[in-house]
Amino acid sequence: MGQDERHYNINKLNFLFAIASLVLLSALGMVFLRDNDKEWRKYQTEFQTLEIEKTRVKKDAEEVKLASNGEYEELLAKLETAQAAFDQKCQFKELEKELAKLQAENEILNQQYKFSKAEMDAAKYRYETAQSHHAANLEQASTEFYALDEKTKTLNLQVEESNKKLFSKEKIIDSCGEELENLQKEKRQLVQKKNLLDRKLNKIDPQEMSFVNQMAQMVRNLPVIDLANPSLKIEQVVLQDVRDDVNFMTVPKVERCITCHLGISNPDYKDEAQPFKTHPNLELFVGNDSPHPLEEFGCTVCHGGRSRGIDFSRAAHTPASAVQKKAWIEKYDWEKLELWEEPMLPLVNVQAGCFKCHSGESTIKGADKLNLGLDVIERAGCYNCHVIDKYKDWPKTGPDLTQIASKLTPAWAYKWIADPQSFRHKTWMPSYFNQSNNSDPESKLRSQQEIHAIVHYLFAKSEAFTAEVNSLKGNPINGESLVNSVGCLACHQLKDEAQAQPETANSLRRRFGPILSGIGTKTTREWLIDWLKDPQRYHPQTRMPNLRLTDQEAADIASFLIADTNTNFASKTSPMIDDKVLNEIAFDFLKKNLPKEKATTELAAMNQQQKLLFSGEKLIGQYGCYSCHNISGFGNRKPIGTELTEEGSKSLHNLDFGFIHDIDHTKEAWFTQKLKDPRIFDHGKVKAPDEKLVMPNFNLSDQETEAVVTALLGFTKDSGVEKKKVARTPDRLFKEKGQEIVAQFNCQGCHIIQDEGGAIYPTLQDWLVKYEGRDSKEAEKVHEGFNPPNLRGIGKKLDPDWLFNFLHQPTQKVRPWLKTRMPTYSFNVAHLNQLLKFFATLDDEQSTFYTEPDTNLSNDEFKAAELMFSTEVFDCTKCHVVGNKIPAASEETLAPNLALAKTRLRPDWLIQWIKDPQSLLPGTKMPTFFDPLDYENSGPPDILEGDENKQIRVLRNYLFTLSDKKNTNSSSDNSSSPAQ
Amino acid sequence: MEHLKEIINTLTNPKILFPSILFLYFFIFPPNDYLLKINKRLKLYNIWTKKGAVVLFSLLIGFFAFGLTDPNFQKIVAKPDNVPIVGLIFLVVFFLWLSMYQARENDQRIAQGKLPNEAEDAKEKILVWPDLVYIEFIALILCAALLLTWAMVLKAPLEEPANPSVSPNPSKAPWYFLGLQEMLVYFDPWLAGVLFPTVIMIGMMAIPFIDNNRKGCGYYTFEDRKMAVSIFMFLWLVLWIFLISTGTFLRGPNWNFFGPFEYWDIHKLEALTNINLSEYVYMIWLNRSLPSNILLREGVGFLLIALYFGLAPLVLSKTLFKNIYHRLGVLRYSVFTILLLLAVSLPIKMFLRWAFNIKYIVAIPEFFFNI
Repeated sequence: MGQDERHYNINKLNFLFAIASLVLLSALGMVFLRDNDKEWRKYQTEFQTLEIEKTRVKKDAEEVKLASNGEYEELLAKLETAQAAFDQKCQFKELEKELAKLQAENEILNQQYKFSKAEMDAAKYRYETAQSHHAANLEQASTEFYALDEKTKTLNLQVEESNKKLFSKEKIIDSCGEELENLQKEKRQLVQKKNLLDRKLNKIDPQEMSFVNQMAQMVRNLPVIDLANPSLKIEQVVLQDVRDDVNFMTVPKVERCITCHLGISNPDYKDEAQPFKTHPNLELFVGNDSPHPLEEFGCTVCHGGRSRGIDFSRAAHTPASAVQKKAWIEKYDWEKLELWEEPMLPLVNVQAGCFKCHSGESTIKGADKLNLGLDVIERAGCYNCHVIDKYKDWPKTGPDLTQIASKLTPAWAYKWIADPQSFRHKTWMPSYFNQSNNSDPESKLRSQQEIHAIVHYLFAKSEAFTAEVNSLKGNPINGESLVNSVGCLACHQLKDEAQAQPETANSLRRRFGPILSGIGTKTTREWLIDWLKDPQRYHPQTRMPNLRLTDQEAADIASFLIADTNTNFASKTSPMIDDKVLNEIAFDFLKKNLPKEKATTELAAMNQQQKLLFSGEKLIGQYGCYSCHNISGFGNRKPIGTELTEEGSKSLHNLDFGFIHDIDHTKEAWFTQKLKDPRIFDHGKVKAPDEKLVMPNFNLSDQETEAVVTALLGFTKDSGVEKKKVARTPDRLFKEKGQEIVAQFNCQGCHIIQDEGGAIYPTLQDWLVKYEGRDSKEAEKVHEGFNPPNLRGIGKKLDPDWLFNFLHQPTQKVRPWLKTRMPTYSFNVAHLNQLLKFFATLDDEQSTFYTEPDTNLSNDEFKAAELMFSTEVFDCTKCHVVGNKIPAASEETLAPNLALAKTRLRPDWLIQWIKDPQSLLPGTKMPTFFDPLDYENSGPPDILEGDENKQIRVLRNYLFTLSDKKNTNSSSDNSSSPAQ
Repeated sequence: MEHLKEIINTLTNPKILFPSILFLYFFIFPPNDYLLKINKRLKLYNIWTKKGAVVLFSLLIGFFAFGLTDPNFQKIVAKPDNVPIVGLIFLVVFFLWLSMYQARENDQRIAQGKLPNEAEDAKEKILVWPDLVYIEFIALILCAALLLTWAMVLKAPLEEPANPSVSPNPSKAPWYFLGLQEMLVYFDPWLAGVLFPTVIMIGMMAIPFIDNNRKGCGYYTFEDRKMAVSIFMFLWLVLWIFLISTGTFLRGPNWNFFGPFEYWDIHKLEALTNINLSEYVYMIWLNRSLPSNILLREGVGFLLIALYFGLAPLVLSKTLFKNIYHRLGVLRYSVFTILLLLAVSLPIKMFLRWAFNIKYIVAIPEFFFNI
């Protein structure tokens, strides 16, 4: 085959082949290069350097610490002398030599013995077989066996001897070096930390590594070889009990965030930049001892995002602001991972992740923003229009409008509906009109008539209500003092502030009821007095409790409140009814169900009143007014809003961005926009008036909006995390239900429950200054004495029967000096029982039954008790009220009524309380009579033989004998209290 | 610029695009002597020269280069899923040109009384080793390098995690099925999804038995087998490649048609005004309501179908396909015409849809029977 037979020029082909091979080689090279150029490798390398640096610094610090440690130096010196002594005394080298010789001998003997024994065993076998089968060889076998047996025994003896010698030699060495050994042990303990760091550095720091390790370190990260055990590798946590749903089956969640976030659980990195920064609050999150350890909870369970992503964008990081977004694009080439449905929660909304598992709790510890969001949702009553599972069966937030005519005038109602904010800036009543989709001139005209129709309907359907007549003349000055002290300010504020203040849980508690400004413009004095006396007469489902005001008090308060008017609002005028526009409105509604012609005749047959009434009803239905207010004729109509229970899991394409293009295409951006301007997504759409969006504007501040958005993002389908939730045990449910009632009735407006609440406290301090003439410093010091009580521990403290009755009818005066009154709520039996269960479970108290108090006292005991009670020993009545006898001390030092102890307190608790009150309620004013540190000698030695336990029991039993009547006798007999 | 984009967007509206393709096609690939004469007079065959190739590729590359300056165009064309389809367009055009270039040369040689080019080649001997194996090996290496580079440059076009309650919009079949998916727009699923794919396979198997023209064996030619090439190219280029490209680049959310420079607006609404033939007949022409009797209602449609499959072969055998009828004999001719008529029913239906909004010729939703 010659060259000329070939079709192609072989040289050309060779050249082509060379080029092609080079191309393939460079492509392969690129593959490796790209694989080794991954973002996470860069971070891991950086982290390694950082770690080496940190360890070096730590080691240096440890060395400095050791150097400055006198004990260590002393030890070193001691060690040196000990070494010298050891060398001298033990002649270690010679001993060592002898020992080596003995050792060698011993080993040889051992081996000889073993061989000899093996040969003997074999001979034994031959001897035994000869005995049974080969009689001819018997003699020889026998001699052989016995000779070997003898030899083995001798060798055995020699071995034992040698062992003994060896042992005694070793013992000499050991005893000789004992002191040295002990000193060395001590030194090891001192330098343990440093040694650990040394060892770590040996592993990671090339400067400290052995040559072999350095080579290994280099080789292990080389391409292909790195499949074995590279130092740079993808790190992951696999969560077996958190499952990802991949349709028709679930797989364990795999969390790879720690591939880059390498210092996340190491407190040493708290000042480093991302991605190495330590997670904040390691005691609560990520830390091994926290309730959410990394190995069990991972990262994306709370944060969201793509847990398998090891690339900045592909982990679905979400920027928290436009500024961050810009920075990320510059720094990380960030782009939104469009196709991932659960992107990471932006840092500002990160608390949304808590709700997934903690949805049952009313206040989630540590998640302030989320709590604030939930509080705003409760106050604003989002759940009235939007079904939210958490708020199922919650009461309506708006006042009852079925008897509105007795309370308001149509003119006021018109102006209020048209613009509630012009009456009170911080009202929860949202604005329906003059919003972005109904503020053009035509819509404005229509809105005016719509409001007329709504007002007309409300007043036309209003039922009769006559306020009780109270002809007393009120004293506004006394009224003002009462409002400030009796408890109104737990739920209400007096002043309406135009400026938005940052809200807290407590400030929202004080916005539980309406702000009390402008009442004079709003309603009449007669209605107000009636309402104050008994709110439930007007609105049976109201959450405003009855403060059991006397007629005079009610008149005083009413006189004070009614004096506040809003002149700007009063001077506003409302436009006239416009028949033309009204016709349009009515016709539009008629047309919906009737043919045009019929609608026209129907409309013609109506007079103005009928049109207003007809349109009003339709409009109330359209705007959903009935969701928040009781309105006649709307019974149990379904709420009009979208269900929000799983709003956070909603697919992005189910949110209609309409023609709004200048916001981010994210859920949080949509929610924020919706809350800021609920009608914005109508922008650019052609819609008939009754098709427009109707969600009203709550005028939330930026802070409130962000909090609500956080809560909304948290309302998710709880897929995959069931096993991570706290088990829904009965106790847990009691707690959750109790928290719900506490939230519904704003108990924390006055009381501290679960370390939260007491919103009224600061106002009482102001009251002391303003109305009691105390100076502000003093007020700050003593106002605690006037605060409604902290309810910590009452599950163990209060007798359930008593508590039940007290919550139902709180007429007994436990703390008669308090101006703030425990009001009468309209709790039903279910509420009361749930509250009892709640308080009991909070304190792990199992029994919710009455315990018969033990009042047995012998004569001696009774006398001892009286003595302890008296001024001579504990002087209980110095602070404690007993029945109607109030100590003469100043009010802030007073303590609860002891005459109620018998029915009110649990006997076991009382023992504990007398023994060590600070352990039950830290910071209590109750003195500690029995020093817990030296309990055995703490009681008065001359009473009841100084037996503390007996003293306390006797005193407890004595307290249970006190009553209103008896107290008068005993105190008159025993004490010369100045109160007499 | 914007005007040009507007014009292109308007031209790609299927109402204009599809009829014009149907019209132009037969001048470029004339199936009979008459059209061939026009083709020659218009000098359209000059496309298949080297100059023609330069023009053809300049236009194609120019169009894509111009298009890539537009963000909407770029978004669709540069999507990792769609890049291979862009490659497909270039490759198809190139190989089409290459074969037609050789066919044209051969046709000219035959006209001059010479043998085709391939006859010269046949005299030459080429060895498997090293000639063939070596170049195959080089091609293999280059392909491997190409695939590696491709895998590095373009990310795998993964979509969102599967979710049974959310289907992607638009949800597209794999590219090689886009032709079939496009058919679903015009035909009932059992026709487009079951009958047609079966017929396509059977039809392709039948080609060697139907085509008994011995001319063109072993060499490229067009004029010797005008009809065969024209029909095949029609099925391949118009009914397969064109539909795949349409499905890839022009079908957007909600399976709406979008021009190449149009933004894929998910909210775009197109009026659904397609009507059935029966509605045309009774409601528009006769101005009365549809008869309740199904047979009466769909009578016209049935008649048309019957005429199409029953009468058309007869008429064609006397007119257009006279020669073929004689050459093939009755049986082969019948199989051929039925297959052809089935194939042609697709463009006919498409044309009817785009030009007259016809939905179904026969529409009996009562029995899920629609044609």
